[in-house]
Amino acid sequence: MSLAALQQEFMDHVLDEERPLPQHWDARMGEGLAIYRNAYRARLVDALRETFSKTALWTGDEAFAQAAAHHLILHPPRGWTLDLVGDGFVETLEELFAADPDVADLAWLEWAMHLAFTAPDCAPMDAARFAEATSDFGEEDWATMRLPFVPSLHVRVVSSDCGALWQALEREESPTTAPQAEAPLHCIVWREGLDPVFALIPARDGNSLAAMRAGSSFGEVCAMLAEELPADQAAAEAGAMLGGWIGRGIVLGLSSSSPVTG
Amino acid sequence: MSGIPSFHGFGLGLRRPHYSAFMAGDVPVDFVEIISENYMVDGGRPLAVLDAVRAHYPVAMHGVSLSVGSAHGIDREYLGRLKALADRIEPLWMSDHLCWTRTSAHNSHDLLPLPYTAEALDVVCANLARAQDVLGREMLLENPSSYCSFPDEEMAEWEFLAEVSRRTGCYLLLDVNNVYVSAHNHGFAADDFLTGIPMERVRQIHLAGHTPGAILIDTHDREVCDDVWALYAKAIAMTGPVATMIERDDAIPPLPELLAELDVARGIAAGAARRAA
Repeated sequence: MSLAALQQEFMDHVLDEERPLPQHWDARMGEGLAIYRNAYRARLVDALRETFSKTALWTGDEAFAQAAAHHLILHPPRGWTLDLVGDGFVETLEELFAADPDVADLAWLEWAMHLAFTAPDCAPMDAARFAEATSDFGEEDWATMRLPFVPSLHVRVVSSDCGALWQALEREESPTTAPQAEAPLHCIVWREGLDPVFALIPARDGNSLAAMRAGSSFGEVCAMLAEELPADQAAAEAGAMLGGWIGRGIVLGLSSSSPVTG
Repeated sequence: MSGIPSFHGFGLGLRRPHYSAFMAGDVPVDFVEIISENYMVDGGRPLAVLDAVRAHYPVAMHGVSLSVGSAHGIDREYLGRLKALADRIEPLWMSDHLCWTRTSAHNSHDLLPLPYTAEALDVVCANLARAQDVLGREMLLENPSSYCSFPDEEMAEWEFLAEVSRRTGCYLLLDVNNVYVSAHNHGFAADDFLTGIPMERVRQIHLAGHTPGAILIDTHDREVCDDVWALYAKAIAMTGPVATMIERDDAIPPLPELLAELDVARGIAAGAARRAA
């Protein structure tokens, strides 16, 4: 058996305990394989439990362990870093807990914070730098302005108040029902200095942020708002949202030409 | 490549519960070992912690994902990130294990055993030579613990390691606990291992605890046992002064307990040095 074939056979046994042993592998080999198989599962489930610690508290440990095992069977890890073993776990939870969307919302929040924790370092544009950079802006400059955002930023539409749930679990409280959002919200996650943080923002703000993050210009976002609001109110709302993004430290700089995706 | 000079001293692994003490430079050790992959990230707190620790201590980089025995070769993206981290912190040296961790499709995130065959030897040497070429330096290769061995093996683990070192110029990280565990699990004599590897190539020694049983398991979750201390005494007498550290990855105790355990290593090494003199 070539080394490549042997390694494939060995890996298949690590992933699948029901796979029969090849004839030339004896029972002692089977005992050793079981140690590797158990270590593989324990290590990966532990990694998921650490990354999604509050989700595990919320679902209960047994349900979480089952979901984790299900995910790892369907999506065994491919990359070299254990940090990304949770990639796709939110989608797995969306399927497994379809009737309880608060589970996937909370898991998304934890995953986004996990990613933000090690996102590239950067210096967000503060209000003073923004004012200086836009001091000679004319109408056309504002209309074509695009914003690159900090690389730690993540945005998701949520149907539950996952932020309140996260905080309750952080305080080691035991909420019995998920705090519901009165209207659809966007949850945003980014990093302040070295610490991941989050906020829930209204849908209009979230949609505008998502549009600019996808490369829309400020003028296009203003036009989007003008479809919902009177013109003067739309302009005021756009200005307030822009100020909020800068105040939160999620704007990286200014761009006026090519769309910025992220 | 210019070789790795000897570095004598006693160190500990950098683990989360002890970050603040190491960042303040308050821990009486000669070097710190990191798990490389924990810091092969884009930014954020891990690198900030590492930079602060590096300001106080020499750092050895210890990896778990090189997969030097993988028949499918080395991951280029991984190697690039590993080199970037080395360029940032200028480590004492970089080490990984004589094992494989992945196939072309899946990663086990575990140190899986290699068959000690001529084909595996060629694969390891080719992969390691490539890694060393990209990194621009020789690496240290560590003997792993293993829980099964393969039929049709063509050489002993120590013969395999010695030949890898001879062909690639790599140095060795001698994990004394792993020698003990594998000797028990596979029925060889630990002394044969120690006399079978080129001791002059050893640049670091690992000490750790294991879980007893019919098959010993390398768990790093308890103190070093008496038998492993005895084997360390033999090893350090053969290597002469060499960097030694205690690995603890689970059930991590307060620093004073680890430092007391490190003092045992210091005492054994000092005794060996006195006898040699």
